[in-house]
Formats: sequence, structure tokens, C-alpha cells
Amino acid sequence: MTGFGGFVARAHAAGQLVVQPRMGFSDPGRMRGGLIATKLADATTVGTLTLDSYTRVGANDEARRALAEGAALNGYPIVAHDAATTASVVEGLRGQDFPVQIRHGSACPEHIVDALVRTGFDATEGGPVSYCLPYSRLPLRESVRNWERACQRLAAVPGSHLETFGGCMMGQLCPPSLLVAISVLEGLFFAQHGMRGISLSYAQQTDLAQDTDAMFALRRLGEEFFAGLDWHIVVYAYMGVYPKTPHGALNLLAQAARLAVRTGGARLIVKTVAEAYRIPTVAENVEALEHAASAAALTSALPVGDGGEVYREARALIDAVLNLSDDLGRAFVQAFALGYLDVPYCLHPDNAGRARGHVDASGRLAWTSVGAMPIPGATGRSAGITSSSLLTALSHVERTFDWSPMETPPSPQQHLASPVTKTVMRIQDTALTAAREYLRDNGFVELLPAIIGPVTDPGVRGSKQVDVDYYGHKYKLMTSAILYKQASLLGFDKLFYIAPNVRLEPPETASTARHLAEFHQLDVEISGASREDAMQVVEDLVRVMVQRVVTTMPAELEQLGRDADAFKDLLVSAFDRRTHASAVADLLEIGHPQSADAEIDWQGEEILSRKSSRPFFVTDYPKGCRGFYDRENRDVPGMLRNFDLIAPEGYGELCSGSEREFEYAKIVARMRETGENPAKYGWYLQMVREGIPDSAGFGIGIQRFIRYVAGLDSVWQASAYPKIPGQVSA
Amino acid sequence: MELARKRLSVVLSSVASDSHTWNLVYLQLVLEEQGHDVVNLGACVPDDLLVAECLRCDPDLVVLSSVNGHGSQDGERVVRRLRACPELAGTPVVIGGKLGVDGDGRHTGNLLRAGFDAVFSDDVDAFRAFVDGLLVRVAA
Repeated sequence: MTGFGGFVARAHAAGQLVVQPRMGFSDPGRMRGGLIATKLADATTVGTLTLDSYTRVGANDEARRALAEGAALNGYPIVAHDAATTASVVEGLRGQDFPVQIRHGSACPEHIVDALVRTGFDATEGGPVSYCLPYSRLPLRESVRNWERACQRLAAVPGSHLETFGGCMMGQLCPPSLLVAISVLEGLFFAQHGMRGISLSYAQQTDLAQDTDAMFALRRLGEEFFAGLDWHIVVYAYMGVYPKTPHGALNLLAQAARLAVRTGGARLIVKTVAEAYRIPTVAENVEALEHAASAAALTSALPVGDGGEVYREARALIDAVLNLSDDLGRAFVQAFALGYLDVPYCLHPDNAGRARGHVDASGRLAWTSVGAMPIPGATGRSAGITSSSLLTALSHVERTFDWSPMETPPSPQQHLASPVTKTVMRIQDTALTAAREYLRDNGFVELLPAIIGPVTDPGVRGSKQVDVDYYGHKYKLMTSAILYKQASLLGFDKLFYIAPNVRLEPPETASTARHLAEFHQLDVEISGASREDAMQVVEDLVRVMVQRVVTTMPAELEQLGRDADAFKDLLVSAFDRRTHASAVADLLEIGHPQSADAEIDWQGEEILSRKSSRPFFVTDYPKGCRGFYDRENRDVPGMLRNFDLIAPEGYGELCSGSEREFEYAKIVARMRETGENPAKYGWYLQMVREGIPDSAGFGIGIQRFIRYVAGLDSVWQASAYPKIPGQVSA
Repeated sequence: MELARKRLSVVLSSVASDSHTWNLVYLQLVLEEQGHDVVNLGACVPDDLLVAECLRCDPDLVVLSSVNGHGSQDGERVVRRLRACPELAGTPVVIGGKLGVDGDGRHTGNLLRAGFDAVFSDDVDAFRAFVDGLLVRVAA
């Protein structure tokens, strides 16, 4: 197979999801730059020329006038630019290894197809229904005639490819069976007019499980109707009101990529973090392509499903239309006139306009009414649509994905009784059981931690300590167990705690999704160990805990919507190790202002975290951003023998550890450097003066770790009694 | 004074350059919830069609909505066409939505001078209040 379809088929066979932007600039140089960036992205890509709205409606003279005046259009005017200009845009780029598709949105596409064929393209998209009803006033009958001629023209080009836009219809609130049916019917229309290369589209909707059924329905119908043709399925990342936050936008995109891979989709059209605001830049498109590709790489295919209810409804709709006429164009016109196809909320004069859809209580799309469509009507009682319920439904996905981590936990009763909390706590129990077994099997002793003391870990990153009145003395709640861990080495070579910590983090950290004022650490200390020894124990512990959860709790992970494939890489590959200096260099290179002398900031950590498919270590932090107990490198003064473990997917830091300072003089010097008064550390310094073993150790933040394992939006969901910084709580 | 009528007949429409429709679906529901009858002309309505439909329906109110950022040019042009018809010279005609790409303020004066009775941003409560106020005028 050659051309667009051949490229996608080869990638699909190799297990690669093809990702594609929507991208169009009127300036040829800029357009070429966009194609180059798409081709060079760290992903399997095809290129796109999205056309402008003048060309879409056939106003080519207006496009030419705008070009002559130097005005920027909202896409590439392929008719207005001469053939030589377009040839220069794709020269050396377009080929068997990088097909380029023309995207437009026109109900009168003949002049566009003429121009694209003339300039050596062979792939485009649209359809007589999908580019007429939602966006145009053109009578459906005329759109059908236009698309018949366009198909015939394109079909004459060897290896040509046409994608139906039928899986989108209005972008939202159209139940999946109708999307699937229109997609298949438009594909059949293309085939009837000579096309041999066809892709069937499906736009991500409100619910992953329902979308999965829809994709399997589309796949099954594709196998039934398109045998012998070169066909594949393309997924569109959500086409309705898009999340406004970067994390919401990227998570929704990642879910679209996972949907495609799980169900055998071969190609994905991405959306960017700019979607809710404006036309994205080339860089934002590349970010989206790479984010989708990395989500896809962590996902594997599900066993093929039968498409369930979506299949049955779609099949009934398709059969009803096919029974109207052997000529599919004629059948389309009759089907809409009779209301056999009726797109919810579509105002086109040729649409019956009796069907309505809504988002049901479980988040799935459902029929409010089916009008005259030959499918079962609404099941159960469904309230009518009101203006305010319409707004709520239209923003359902946006709210779900933007759902702010600033949102506070519900009441303690609701939180503890919630099925999510219960499942998360059982996952935590499983993980800690696995950790305890591993540590015990490797010679560690579990001690019970101190809660208060005259002094505690001086802390980092601006958190405050809590004072306790202890018989008239000011004691502290433990911010970490570090001082007691070192002390315990006098009795035990290898020890651990599961220790509560209280740090009054600044209220602004309430919105980071990763700070709690009260949390727990799995605290480990090993006498005579090096940093590398400690890192190996961290890596083993993390793997053991994740392995136990993945193996014994697949249903619980599924219930939380956590894809167990996210841990595929973690379970088999060693964690990467990189220095603080190289992490800083990487961040600076992509334009994130990170100081070389400071802790990596939350945002920087999140950027690094998103680039990895498994946890990774950052080592050798500069002195000044960590406590006095992290040992300074004797050969490289100013650099610490320490490490952090960072989770992938944006979850950020899970663990900090180091080799420890254990010599009295050095500890006192380091205390002074970090602004700590040695006089406060009486018992500790007395003990150090008498001699403690050298050691290395670490603390894994349990709630952060469980948040990562369970795929939770916010760390408070991983605490039974969450205490959000700055907020009064139970 | 007892109101003679509680229902208005409303023509609801986009403008010629705007293919968005969710705003029209929403406004139709808003108006119907207030008890009015709506003829929804949909997206990309050419000026000729809007004028013809308004002459045919003889509505109590014409509502134009546009969200693509170019609504003010289209709106100014088409309201002059409406006002040029003697039958529609006194019909309340309003426009709302996202009318310009750089904030709506500076368009409002031009739109009012061109013949609109009111210009709304995305303040639906203000729009509802305006429509309620019309009932009195219709009754009178």
C-alpha cells in the first residue's frame, strides 16, 4: 500500500499510533515551518494543511485579495496560492515517510479537491453530511452532489485517501451510535463513488467506557462493510468545550490517545493546551503530538469488544438508511427528510430537529428523545433540557478535566464513605503490606516513630513547624524522622518507620494538588550504606509496591480509571538517573527559568515528570537547598550526595534521600551555614559527638506515592483525614 | 393595566459570517422558558434571508447572536436593511454575544446608531430583563 493509508497501516502494524495536528497558516514559510516541526516531533506523525475559511466557502477571490494585502488568514489558502508556492511548502518534506493531509470543512469541496490533486496531494477529509449540516446552510441535496463529484475526482488519483468527518457532528451531545452510523454511511458513500482508501472517524465524548464501546462498534462495522478496502479508524480528541487548564487539556488528550490504542484506532487528531483560547502555535501543537504519543506508548490494546448497545443502535440506523435507496446520496437526503437520521441540536433546515441528547448521571451520553429514528427511545425518566442544564451538559467534560485540585475535600463522613476513598485506602494497605514484607525480608526492623521532640528536621521550602507545650518546654511535632533515624542506628543497622509528619505548608500550596499539612513517610535508614545503595532500595521498594497493587488489585485500578499499563515501563526497566545540573539545563533549554543553585521548582518538576514514562532519580542537588544532614560531596564542595525520586505523568516528587553527615564538626558547620542554631540541637549533637555510624536513607511520601499509583487528581484523595494547607479540617 | 399578551413571537438568528449554533440553541431555550415562541433561523443566515423571514413572521422581537468575533460588522449592515423596511422600522431588534475580537465596548455605540434597540455581551440576565420589559410595550 502506498500514500496516506499505507503509511498509517504500516505504523499500526508496528504498534505506533499516528498522531496529527490541525494546523494551517496563510504564510507559506510559516506553513512549511509547521510541517517541519510536525515531521521532527518525537512521535509518529502525518502532516496537515488546514485551509482558511474563505477557501472553505469558495470565496477564493477574497482569499487572494487578503493575501495581496498581506493579511493573515486562519488557514492555508490552497486555491489562492499558485501551485509553485504550494510545491515549495512541501518540497523535501512530503513523501512515503511523511504524508500530508488537507483539512478544510467545506460543503462545496470540488475546487479544493482540484487544487490539492493539482499540487500533488492525495488525502483529504469531510463528507456530504458532516460538512453540511453543522456548519452550512447549503441544502443537503446540493452538498451530496458536490461531494459525489469531489469523490470521483479524488478517486482517480492512485492511492488517494478520504476521511469521514461524520464521527464529530456538532462536537458534543450527540450519542455515539449516531456518530458511528454517520461515519460508516459517509465511508460507504465515498466507496460508492470510487474511493478505495477510507478512514472512519470517531470524536471522543464524555465517558471512556462508552467511547470504548463506540470504537469497537465502529471497528466491527468497518470489518462488515469495508472488507477489501484500505481503511482505518481515526480518533478526534474532544471536539466540544475544551478544558482551560493545561493539566486538564493534556489529560483529556492523553485519554483520547489511550482510547485509540485500547480499541485499535490507528490515528489521532490532537488538541492543544491553547484550544479553549485561540489558534495554537506550532510549539503547542508539537507538545500535544508528543504528549499524545507518550500516552499511547504506555497503553496496550484491549481484547476486542462487540460494541454492545452502540453497535446495535448504529447498525439499525445504517440498515434503515441503506434500505431507502441503492444510491447513498439519495438515501441520505431521504433519511434526513424522514428523520431516520436526526442530529441533536442541529439547526440546519434539512435536519428534523426532534432528537435530543443529554449527559446522564453516570456521565454517559444518552438520548432524551430519538424523534423518528428507528432505535429505542430514552430509557427511564429523563428530564427535559433547560437552558441551564444545556450549559451544564456542554461544559461537562471541561469541568471534569479542569476539576481543580483547589477543590476542598467533602465532609469527613462523605470522604470516608466514598467508594473512591475506600478503594484508595485498600490500595495503600496493599502497598504498605508489600513494603513491610520486602523490608523485613531484607533485614530491616520496623520501629515506631517519635511524634514530638525538642527539635526536629528544620524543614525546607518554606514550611513551618508546630510547637507543643511539653511541661513548660517548647517541643515540636516531627516534620520528619531524620534525627531519630540517625539516632536509631546505634541499635539497628537497617531500620524503617511509617512516620507521620506535620509541616505547616504555606496556604498557596493548597492548589498544587501535592501538599498536605499532615502526611506520612516510609522512612528508611541503612548503616554504612552509600547513596547508590539507598537508591537501589528505593527502586526495589517502589517496584515491589506497584507490582503488588497491579497484580492483586486490577479491578480496583480499573474502578479508579487508572490504566495499569502506566506501570509497564516501571516494572521492567531500571529507573534513569540524572544530575540536578542536567535537569536544570534541560529546563532552561525549553524556556523554563530554573535557577542552577536552587531546588527545582514545582512547575519544573512537573515538566520533567511529564517527559518520562517511569520514575527517575535526580541527584547531586546544590548545597543550600537541602538540610544540614545531606552529606556534602568531599570531592565537589557545594554539591550534595543526595537524590530525589520523581514520578512520571506530572505527579512529581515521591521521595528524597541522601548519604548523611555524621561527623560532629561537619554537622555543626553545616548547621551554621543553613542558619540553624546548634544550641537548639542539644541531645542530637551530644550523641553525634560521641559517635554515630555513617549511613544513607530516604523517606517516600506515602500519600504522594499512592496518588501516583491510583492516578488521583490530588494528594488529599490519598489521605483518610486530609489536611489541606491553610484550611480548617477534621 | 392588564396585559393583552404574555407570549412574544421571536425571530432568533445568527449573522451571515457565523457558523456557530450552540449559542442559538441556548437562547431558544432561554426564550421558550420565558414562554415565548421562537423561529430559530440557525447559522450563517444571509441578510436577504433574515429580512425575508422577518417580513414573513412579523415578529415582536428579533434577536441576533454571534460569537465568532466578527458579529458587529455583519450586525451593523443587516440592521440597516431591517430598518429600511417600513414594516420593521419599529420592531425591537437586539444583538448579543462575542461581537468583536478586542472587547465589546467600542462596538456598542456603532451598533445602537445603526438601529439596534439593545446590545448585550454575555449577560443573559440583562437580556431576560429586556425581554420581560417588552411585554409591557406589546400590551400597550
